[in-house]
Amino acid sequence: MVGPIGRSTVIYLDHHATTPVDARVLEAMLPYFTATFGNPASRTHRFGWEANEGVERARRQVAALVGAGAREMVFTSGATEANHLAIAGVAAASPAGRRHIVTVATEHKAVLDPCRPLVSSGWTVTELPVEATGLVDLDAAARAITPGTALVSVMLANNEIGVLQPLADIARLAHAQGALMHTDAVQALGKVPVDVAALDVDLASFSAHKLYGPKGVGALYVKRGVEKRLAAPVRGGGQERGLRGGTLNVPGIVGFGAACEVAGREMPEEARRMGGLRDRLWQLLQERVGGVSMNGAEAPRLPGNLNVRFEGIEGESLLVGLTEIAVSSGAACTSAEPSHVLMALGMGRVEALASLRFGLGRGTTAEDIDRAASHVADVVGHLRRTSPVARLAAAGASR
Amino acid sequence: MYSAAVLERVRNPRRVGEWPEGREDVGTGQAGTLDEGTTVRIQVRGDAGRIVEARFKVFGCSAAIASAGLVAEWLEGTALDEVRRITPERVVDALALPAERAHVARLVVDAARQALDDVMEKAGRRP
Repeated sequence: MVGPIGRSTVIYLDHHATTPVDARVLEAMLPYFTATFGNPASRTHRFGWEANEGVERARRQVAALVGAGAREMVFTSGATEANHLAIAGVAAASPAGRRHIVTVATEHKAVLDPCRPLVSSGWTVTELPVEATGLVDLDAAARAITPGTALVSVMLANNEIGVLQPLADIARLAHAQGALMHTDAVQALGKVPVDVAALDVDLASFSAHKLYGPKGVGALYVKRGVEKRLAAPVRGGGQERGLRGGTLNVPGIVGFGAACEVAGREMPEEARRMGGLRDRLWQLLQERVGGVSMNGAEAPRLPGNLNVRFEGIEGESLLVGLTEIAVSSGAACTSAEPSHVLMALGMGRVEALASLRFGLGRGTTAEDIDRAASHVADVVGHLRRTSPVARLAAAGASR
Repeated sequence: MYSAAVLERVRNPRRVGEWPEGREDVGTGQAGTLDEGTTVRIQVRGDAGRIVEARFKVFGCSAAIASAGLVAEWLEGTALDEVRRITPERVVDALALPAERAHVARLVVDAARQALDDVMEKAGRRP
C-alpha cells in the first residue's frame, strides 16, 4: 500500500502498529454515527434496541472468529484495557494464597506494565526468559508456575518478531496448578486461526485496529465461569455484565465485528498471499543487501512479519535514511533504546538497534515489496560505505 | 527531530572514504567504540602547513554522520594551527543538533584533533 506522506509516496510496511480501516468496515460503521445513534443501554425505545442489535451482532462476529460464545466477549476501549481487565481484574479477585503472576520477558508493555506495579502490593511477578528462537522455554515455565500462581499471561503472536508461542502447552501447565491462562492475541487475530478452546485459554485480549477495524475498540474473551474470578477495575452502569462499565462505543464495536467477519472469510487466502510476499521480501533482502539475519527465524511466525538485522550499520541512521518506506525498528529515534524483545533473544544493544520490523498487510503488493527491497538495499549499501566496521562479503553489498 | 542540514548530509554525504594509515602525509584519528554505539574515524592529508583533504567513516547515528561530514569539510583548506578552532559547540550550532546528540559532535572533534596530531607528528612538528 502506498500512501501520501508530504509530497512523496511512502510504502506502508508497519501493519503491526496499525492498519487502515477496510472500506467494508467503514461502510458498516457509518450508520451508527448518525441514523442508528442510540445508546444500547436504552431499553425503552427503538433507538436503543437498534444500537443494541448492532452491538450484539458484532459480539457474535468477534466471538465466531475465535470459536467463543458471544456472551464470553467483553468489549473494551482496546487491547491495553482488555489486558488491564485480565491482569488487574484477576489480581483484585485472587485469594490470599495466590499472589503470583507468570509472564514473559518479550511481552508487550501493555502486559508487562500492569503486572509490575503488583509487586508493591505483595505480589510476585515472574518474567520468563525466551530461547534464541523467541519461544518460551517450557521447562522454565513448568518450574515457575506453582500452586501459588494466580495468572499466566503469554502472548500468542509477538508484535516485533511475529513468533507464535506454544500456548496450549503453557495453558496445560497453568491449569495443572489451578492458575488462569491469559493471552494477548492482538497480533494473531485475523492473521492466523485463533481458537480459544484449542488454545485452552481462560482470557484473551483482542484489538480492532490491528485487523482493519477502527482504533479505540477491543475485547476480552472471558471463558464462561471465569468472570467469577475477575473484579472489574472499571465500574459504573453495569454494562458488559458488570465487567466493564461505560456507554459502549457502538460504531467502533460494529466496525470490530465487521472486521472480524471479513478477516474470517479472507484469512486463509490472505495468509498464503502475505506469506508469499514476506518470503519474497526476505529473499530479495538476502540477494540485494546481504549481511542480513532474520530475528526469530527458527520459530513459526505470523505470515506478514519479517524482522531483520543488518550487519555493519547503526539502526537510527538506517531509519532516517529510509524515506520511501514506513517501517519500525528496535531503535526509537528519540531515546535510541533497543527493543526489549530483541535484547531478550540475547542480542547486544548495537545488533538490536540495527534491526527493522517489516509488517505486511492487506494492501501490500508485489510491486511494493520489490520497491521496498531496492530502497533498503540502496540505503544500507550507502550506510555501509560510510561505516568503518562493515566487513561484508555478500554479493549484494557493493550495490 | 533533525534539521534539514543533518538530513541532507546523511542522505548525500561527501568526503566518505579512507587512505592507508601508513601514508606519510596522512593523519588518522579515531574516537568512540562500537559498544557505545558510535565510532568515528577521520583522516586528513596535510601539505605545506595546511590540510588539503579530509575523509571520514562513521558507524553511528545520523547526527554523527552529519557532524563528521561537516568537520571534514571545515578541515579542508584549514592551516594546521587553526584546526583547534573547530569545536563541538560550533558543530552543534551549525547542524542544530538536539541536546541528546551533542556528545557525537564531541567524538567527531576528538577524532579530528587526533588526526591533526598524527599528521603533525608525521611532518616532524610537535603539536
